[in-house]
Amino acid sequence: MARFLIRSIISTIVTMLLVSMALFFLLEVGSGDITVKILGVFSTPEQRASYRSQLGLDAPAWQRYVDWLAGNDWRVKSRVGYPLVTIPNKESGEAEWWADVEGQPTRWKLEEGQLLALKRQGDGSTTEQIVSGDWQTDESGAEFFWGVDTKNNAVKWMRGEGAEVWVLTKAGLRKEGDGPQTYIPLRKGLLRGDAGESLQFGRPVSATLWSRVRNTAVLAGVAFIIVMPLALFLGIIAGINEGKLLDRIISIGGLGATATPEFVTGIFLILIFGIWLKWLPAVAIFTSANAIFENPLLLALPVMTLTAVELGYIARMTRASMVEVMDSAYIRTAIIKGMPYRRVVVRHAIRNALMAPITIIMLHVNWLIGGLVVVEVIFGYPGLGKYIYDAAIFGDFNAVEAAAMVTVTIAIATRLIGDLAYTLLNPRIRYA
Amino acid sequence: MAIAQPTAGVRPSRWQQMWKSVAIIFESRVATVGLAMVLFWLLIGFISLVWTPHEPNASDFIQNLPPNGTNWLGTDHLGRDITSRLMQGTQVILLKTRLPGDSEISIPGGVAIWGVIGSLVLGVTLGLNAGYRGGWWDQIIMQILDALIAFPRIVLYLVVIAALGQGDMVVILAITITGAPGVARLARSLAMDIKTRDYIRAAETRGESVRYIMFREILPNARGPLLVDAMLRVGYAIFAIGTLGFLGIGLPPPDPDWGNMVNEARRNIFSNQTAVIWPSLAIATLVIGLNLFADGLREELTRYQK
Amino acid sequence: MTGKQKKSPVLKVEDLAVAYKVRGGEIEAVQRVSFEINRGETYGIVGESGCGKSTVAWAIVNFLGANGYVKRGSIKFQGQELVGKSGEELRRLRGDQIAMVYQDPMQALNPSMRLGDQMKEVLTVHRGMADDEAAQHCIQMLERVYMPDAANVMRRYPHQISGGQQQRVVIAMALLNNPALLVMDEPTTALDVTVEAAVLDLIAELSRDFDTAIMYITHNLGVIARVSNRVGVMYAGEMVERGTVAKIYKNPRHPYTQGLMRCVPKLGADKAGSILHPIRGRVPPPTHRPAGCVFGPRCDYIQDKCREERPLLRDLDGIMVRCHFAEEIIASEWTPSEELALPQIEAVSSDSETILELNDLKKYYEVQGSSFKDVIGLGEKRYVKAVENANFTVAKGKTLGVVGESGCGKSTLIKTIIGLEGSTSGKATFMGFDISGDISGRDEALIQELQMVFQNPDSTMNPSYTVGQQIGRPMLRFGTVPKNQVRGEVIKLLESMRLGENYYDRLPRQLSGGEKQRVGIARALASRPNLVLCDEPVSALDVSVQAAILNLLLEVQQEFNTTLVFIAHDLSVVRFFSDEVAVMYLGQIMEIGPADAIYAPPYHPYTEALLSAVPIPDPTIQQKHIRLEGSVPSAINPPSGCRFHTRCPRRKLLPHGGKICETELPNWQITGDGHRIFCHIPAETLQTFDPVITVESD
Repeated sequence: MARFLIRSIISTIVTMLLVSMALFFLLEVGSGDITVKILGVFSTPEQRASYRSQLGLDAPAWQRYVDWLAGNDWRVKSRVGYPLVTIPNKESGEAEWWADVEGQPTRWKLEEGQLLALKRQGDGSTTEQIVSGDWQTDESGAEFFWGVDTKNNAVKWMRGEGAEVWVLTKAGLRKEGDGPQTYIPLRKGLLRGDAGESLQFGRPVSATLWSRVRNTAVLAGVAFIIVMPLALFLGIIAGINEGKLLDRIISIGGLGATATPEFVTGIFLILIFGIWLKWLPAVAIFTSANAIFENPLLLALPVMTLTAVELGYIARMTRASMVEVMDSAYIRTAIIKGMPYRRVVVRHAIRNALMAPITIIMLHVNWLIGGLVVVEVIFGYPGLGKYIYDAAIFGDFNAVEAAAMVTVTIAIATRLIGDLAYTLLNPRIRYA
Repeated sequence: MAIAQPTAGVRPSRWQQMWKSVAIIFESRVATVGLAMVLFWLLIGFISLVWTPHEPNASDFIQNLPPNGTNWLGTDHLGRDITSRLMQGTQVILLKTRLPGDSEISIPGGVAIWGVIGSLVLGVTLGLNAGYRGGWWDQIIMQILDALIAFPRIVLYLVVIAALGQGDMVVILAITITGAPGVARLARSLAMDIKTRDYIRAAETRGESVRYIMFREILPNARGPLLVDAMLRVGYAIFAIGTLGFLGIGLPPPDPDWGNMVNEARRNIFSNQTAVIWPSLAIATLVIGLNLFADGLREELTRYQK
Repeated sequence: MTGKQKKSPVLKVEDLAVAYKVRGGEIEAVQRVSFEINRGETYGIVGESGCGKSTVAWAIVNFLGANGYVKRGSIKFQGQELVGKSGEELRRLRGDQIAMVYQDPMQALNPSMRLGDQMKEVLTVHRGMADDEAAQHCIQMLERVYMPDAANVMRRYPHQISGGQQQRVVIAMALLNNPALLVMDEPTTALDVTVEAAVLDLIAELSRDFDTAIMYITHNLGVIARVSNRVGVMYAGEMVERGTVAKIYKNPRHPYTQGLMRCVPKLGADKAGSILHPIRGRVPPPTHRPAGCVFGPRCDYIQDKCREERPLLRDLDGIMVRCHFAEEIIASEWTPSEELALPQIEAVSSDSETILELNDLKKYYEVQGSSFKDVIGLGEKRYVKAVENANFTVAKGKTLGVVGESGCGKSTLIKTIIGLEGSTSGKATFMGFDISGDISGRDEALIQELQMVFQNPDSTMNPSYTVGQQIGRPMLRFGTVPKNQVRGEVIKLLESMRLGENYYDRLPRQLSGGEKQRVGIARALASRPNLVLCDEPVSALDVSVQAAILNLLLEVQQEFNTTLVFIAHDLSVVRFFSDEVAVMYLGQIMEIGPADAIYAPPYHPYTEALLSAVPIPDPTIQQKHIRLEGSVPSAINPPSGCRFHTRCPRRKLLPHGGKICETELPNWQITGDGHRIFCHIPAETLQTFDPVITVESD
């Protein structure tokens, strides 16, 4: 069993790495110019190029992958010369990057050729101080300075040749002088819980993602609690009545429900309960991220849609497994031992019959996530699925990557749990 | 086939043999019903190639009409005939694939069909190698497939389409990539089972090449389950194409796509409730038909093997 | 054998017919079966596969599945009629008054329940016994069937104990309620011969002590001879003959029984007793049974009456026989018909050239442990020592038989020779070429000279290709025959396999087991190999077909002057067949020599035990009673010194109870012309052993 577990864990780690690479390269390398989407189609190539460099997109892809996965403060630290730290902003609570200059959090900016050090005070305000003596000289004699700017980038300024950069403000693009030559957007990396900034909203992905994950967990959780016992029960009932009418009804009904796409089921449920019967809100209106807790009725239709699709699948799996077990020699033994039928089913069959479906159900979780995307889009449900969908449509790859990694982690974690459950249920592996 | 065909063999006629293997379908009521549903839509598709009641893409009528004598299933929010659009909607799925570029060239075989063929070719090749060779081949192939399987399917679609844009070929690619791991797992488990048979030992003791053993000795015997699985996969593919269409990222316009029809009708659900029903029913019946067919066939085949 | 008084039988079956409903009608799997079993008696039912013997058992416990039912006749158990009883009444009888043990114990036990729980419920459900009282009973019963460490076994799961132990658990479970009737359906078929012998001893002992009536079903005439008092012979759904074992085995009256006796290998005192005569044709499927006598089409004595009229079961000197002409048939005057004539075996000159030579050949498999280190590949490597220092030579045109129980390494040995596996060390040469590596390093011409015949007829042929394609493939691959002559050549080969041209286009599923095996032999011969390795080619076949295949192989060997290496688990099969025999145990060859020398003292103690275990279908033959203790040790950590020392019944003959066996490898002792024994016990001592098999003179 130890061997089995170690293998699973190693395989899981490798899988996650592969997935993260596939995701990153497919999206960042494969997708087109994101700056067009952010700056609009009327932006000039010069503006886009400037903005791209501010996003750090001109670095090589592998470099960005490592930054994205493991962060880059440990790499950039040596250039700036000071340890880099994050301190939450007093107002927004979002993390800001500062250089730790002998215990004093410091950032820099260039104003009319003058290098200013911004020193953070205890109350969150900053004091400015001209630090012209800090310029350094490279081999060619040019003077430069590596520091942290006010937008969480590690930047390199050249003395006397402040670059012209296009800065995106709420009012649109504005051209500014005194810009740095090189940008390295600082990040802690996914492994340390930093998924970068959402290109769509300009805020850290992690700030908005978690409430979405929670909402989806509620939706999926409620569906799961309804589906599992019901599906296993129906599957077992169908399995022990193999070939009879009841089995036919459950099997064909389950097949029909599973084979019908979620959006079709959802639409029909909206038509029936929302428009014709008017029992439930036809279009769920989620006024806030917490709406589902205020009005649980909003969950009804999404949960019903998910249930319809999952119920059939799991019931059919359970049925197939039950049929196989009921046909096995050890069930024959139990019957020939004169055990009452109930006891044969309950004590001898069910445990063996549930072993196979549990792993399959756990593997099925990523199918469920697919269903979630559709269900959340139909009902406008503010969950993870809708988040990925919106981000993918926009091309917000930081958000897609982060959200996709969350789904993949969930899928792999459930698979691991499925493996574990299987080993616990199956003594042949447990004592191997 | 490298094996010598008999030169003068008198066989009980190829047609008879083929009919015998087809007749098994009709042993199962479930399979027969499923087949009928699939054939119905195939027929509709072929008819639509030469005739539809109205021009599918023209806004010739009043918007949001309920079913009536002229427009049997009503009209949509742009005043287009739903019957015609529904009929033509079968084409992209089952009958033709539009090549990329502005050219109007299409190749026969729908997006769903090509997608499944793609995943079969890729999956079978990977699966046979993993299953028959075992060892490192197996480890590496399965590791990669595990990573692919770990992606929720729809996320993979979204990622592929976000990366490559819309198009028939992209949808085919997406179906191929998402389908291949499943096919590979099946092919692998079949290969692992079949390779324990003595006739594989016999081939090995003849010093046959690995390729010969995989494709000539193992594959023909894995055919049955793979075909049944492929049938199911065509169902999944149609399911997926519908879902992508519904999400607005599926097959590109102008040709009607059922999923997209549902999506558009959904936005107008308060003014026209029937428009949403027809394409929904179309997708559901076609997918269910394929599932019933595959299911009945599988049951019948396993009974046959017993 | 106990004398029996006249008392009411425990089980009385009369004119039983069982039918299965299938699509488009029904099949009568069993017809007109009648017999009775008394207290304390073991009643054997013998027959080939598909003859309906298991169906009779299922009918008695009323477990015929959804589509089977008793169509006619009655089954009386202790005077009460079972046919027509309600399900609940039958349930109460099952497991309490009637118990059943069947073939594969691993399948019969629930894999996810502790053995104790599975046993206890028999008592708690039927007797309403309290849990710990039931546990006490179960432990006692396990001890009764000689289960070592019984209390511990109660807490284990089925996969944690060996096959022989599983069968003991199943038997103990069946006996818990002291049933009046115990139905046993091939309970030892899946077991190795030495384990089988011990289980058979146990059954005989239990039947004596518990006074239970046992219905014992098997295909093995030898097993019946060992355990039962009376026997019923079934053929094609009917009981064709029944009577006492002593009478029937001595003088069978039905032509089918006579045929069976002739085609079963008998481990008699001399080689002549090992000659086999097959029965022609094959058992008809239930849907195609002939109108008259069911055995008619295969009978050498068939007359018009047999084709028209079904014979009735009638009494003939105390034997009930279903044959019109039983009085006129005299078994001893039977001669094989032309088509079944035995091949004439010419003595191959003994000094022919050596074709295969092994020198200290070893094959180890690496196994992975389960610690973290092992998983990431840093752990200490451990090996299964599947073949250890194999040394022998095979001369051209001769046959070497390799005998041993499962796991003894005989299959690995031939896999290494043919190149499916490379050897670990040592040297193997074939026709002067080195073959110690695997097949990928061998020359095409060498591959062609070495072919193999496989065990399982159902998997020996690729289901997707016709017979012709499969036999033709080696010819094309090695280019032994020009492309346009392949068909003719294949047909020639088919004919020498006694299969006609019309088999050319058939698919494997249209063939019977024996026919598939013939095609497998034809395919192996298609490239005209010098050496053919046979991996238990007949062990999965019915006895009547077995003999035909064995004879065919002999014939082929004569015709093509092929050398054979032949694997078997049963000493009686190789006797007649081989020039030389090697006995293997746990990867080690223990004894090798000319066939006759192996079957007579001096024996290796393991050979002696094997011979003593083989069930012989002749009640007049006496076997020494030698049983091995324990089970075969793991090949990962084989015992030090002599690998057999942990179970050897003869090591006490050596000083200090055989201390030397535990520490030192024995030397090969040459005891005659090419006969070698791998044992510490001096050959002179081994020579003094009595022969295992003696014929009782009456």
